[in-house]
Amino acid sequence: MKRRSLLKLGLGAAVLLGVVGGGVALLQPGLVDGKMTPGARRVMRAIALAVLDGSLPPSGPDLDAALTLQLDQVDDAITKFPAAVREELSQLFALLSSPPGRWGLAALQTEWDSASLAELNQALQAMRFSKLALRQQTYHALRDLNYAVYFAEPRHWVQIGYPGPKDIG
Amino acid sequence: MNAIPDPIKEGLARGWKVLGGEHGSLPQSLECDVAIIGSGAGAGITAELLAKAGLKLIIIEEGPLRSSADFHQRESEAYPALYQESAARKTSDKAMTVLQGRCVGGSTTVNWTSSFRTPVDTLKFWGDRFGLTDLNEAAMAPWFEQVERRLSITPWLTEPNANNLALRNGAIKLGVEAPTMQRNVKGCWNLGSCGMGCPTNAKQSMLVTTLPAALDLGATLLVQTRAEAFEFSGAECKALVCQPVSLNGSPTGAPLRIKAKHYVVAGGAINSPTLLMRSKAPDPHELLGKRTFLHPTLISSALFEQRIDGWDGAPQSIYSDHYLHLAPLDGPMGYKLEVPPLHPVIMASTLVGHGREQAEALKLFPNSQALLALLRDGFNAQSVGGSVGLKRDGSAVLDYPLNDFVMDGARRAFLSMAELQFAAGAKSVTPLHELAPAFKSWPEARDGINALPFKPLLTRVVSAHVMGGCAMAADASRGVVRPDGTHWQISNLSVIDGSLFPTSIGANPQVSIYGQANRLATGLAEQLTGKHVQLA
Repeated sequence: MKRRSLLKLGLGAAVLLGVVGGGVALLQPGLVDGKMTPGARRVMRAIALAVLDGSLPPSGPDLDAALTLQLDQVDDAITKFPAAVREELSQLFALLSSPPGRWGLAALQTEWDSASLAELNQALQAMRFSKLALRQQTYHALRDLNYAVYFAEPRHWVQIGYPGPKDIG
Repeated sequence: MNAIPDPIKEGLARGWKVLGGEHGSLPQSLECDVAIIGSGAGAGITAELLAKAGLKLIIIEEGPLRSSADFHQRESEAYPALYQESAARKTSDKAMTVLQGRCVGGSTTVNWTSSFRTPVDTLKFWGDRFGLTDLNEAAMAPWFEQVERRLSITPWLTEPNANNLALRNGAIKLGVEAPTMQRNVKGCWNLGSCGMGCPTNAKQSMLVTTLPAALDLGATLLVQTRAEAFEFSGAECKALVCQPVSLNGSPTGAPLRIKAKHYVVAGGAINSPTLLMRSKAPDPHELLGKRTFLHPTLISSALFEQRIDGWDGAPQSIYSDHYLHLAPLDGPMGYKLEVPPLHPVIMASTLVGHGREQAEALKLFPNSQALLALLRDGFNAQSVGGSVGLKRDGSAVLDYPLNDFVMDGARRAFLSMAELQFAAGAKSVTPLHELAPAFKSWPEARDGINALPFKPLLTRVVSAHVMGGCAMAADASRGVVRPDGTHWQISNLSVIDGSLFPTSIGANPQVSIYGQANRLATGLAEQLTGKHVQLA
């Protein structure tokens, strides 16, 4: 019931911040035992697809495998953050995986797992250039985390011509 | 097996007293002469001097003990293990990323070895505005000389890497001075991996110098142990309560109570004020955790025809102070120009943009060059810096408003960096700003940068230097601690780290911290034991 009432809140800045501050507790947490819930993984999979477009394999099983690896490594990175950061990420994923959060933060009408690359990119750009700090912060958090995780992986270094550390014997 | 000897593993084998984490669980209580909170630049120097004076020490570090055998030059390992919040610590509005060490040796374990004495005009400003007249250039010189001897701080004589050479070449073209730095290294292999922990022990960090000296003299080191709060009784500190923590900071066991005759707070400029706040330390003038300075840092990326390989070689070897001296110290913000090392994680997560366009840009990584500008904050009425506070769970949060005054500095810094990069032969220059394109010429960049909106979150701002929050001053109304480092209201508590600084430094701060720590801890050793000890 309360969750449903969030649907009517609209997109005003103050309201959205209110959702983050208090109402988010009414949503399912985005992290359980420090790992992304299935809902959070759907969000992050879509974000990774758009952020890493051009770096990920174009399609098919290779793409699926790369995205699974990416999400597993995001999970691993999250466990290493302090509790306060994990809590913020949990709230952020909770919001984004709820329809009002998806509309309010990402301005995305389509479900995360059925949105096209163009729609996802549009959602990222809308957050990136929003006048609302919360939406900009969301963009940066998700973007930076995806890049940090992706290029921490030695097998991706070849894509950017990085030879890896020098052997010191 | 790694053929390079690891002085930490050897010390442990010799019987160093190290507890916490994998080194053994903590007892419920411990006693000592001096408890030192932190193990970075201030703590390390303090530990060696106090140990030399024969004092029984406990050094308390929140992060883990890692050493050369663990340093594999991998960002994926280094950032979570050695940095606060996996190297992604943010200010409260998330508009700045703060790189800060969290391991034995603190930021000295992961810094880029750039070594500068405190600039003379900064010391003079402290004398004029904070009554710290004893900290003048002549009085500080012997303290710095000892530090330089102890930590092998000497000019870098090897050819700068291409990333640094671009700064020098651009500066020569524009008639701007760009000298060679001093670095705290001994037998440096010129690998470029300083930020991930030195794998060859060439960097003369606290990890391989002062801390081993103190441990050899019998000091106890507690790792993965967070200083939670002091217990005060009147004007005296009675005990320090500590909490064992796991690598991600979560509590892992029963708290420990440490009783000492004297306590030295040296957790760095975010954690030191936070510890005093959690302890409800007296703060009659509401100065604690205020005036926190970060050298807000802007980055300008450039593409060159030739390879730069920005990951290769000493990360920082050339600098320019030209832009610090174009206006009075207390006028519009000046900035120091340097070069950041470029590694995949830090590069990809710090650049702006995403998706296909970004993937194409990242393919040119080997030809990418970058300059950084450290804005000198804290010298103007409009530059009051940030303030440290507590989250609900007692952890630190830093608010640092990027106001118009700071952002005016950011705009000028972008202009100077672009002009230098084009003068050095860059094909294109991209200031790290969400709305900045890759500019193809200096006139285009000049007009384009001037037209950008300089707003937080649109402008990428980072920091690797945290200073202030427990300012030193000649009277209690202007500072948290006295000129001798003791707390104005608590008699047996000193602060010896970068949080002492009443302004930013205007240069990479490690040597400024070492120099003050040398002065203060030499005094403290004498006060507590009557003995005169010397660092070098």
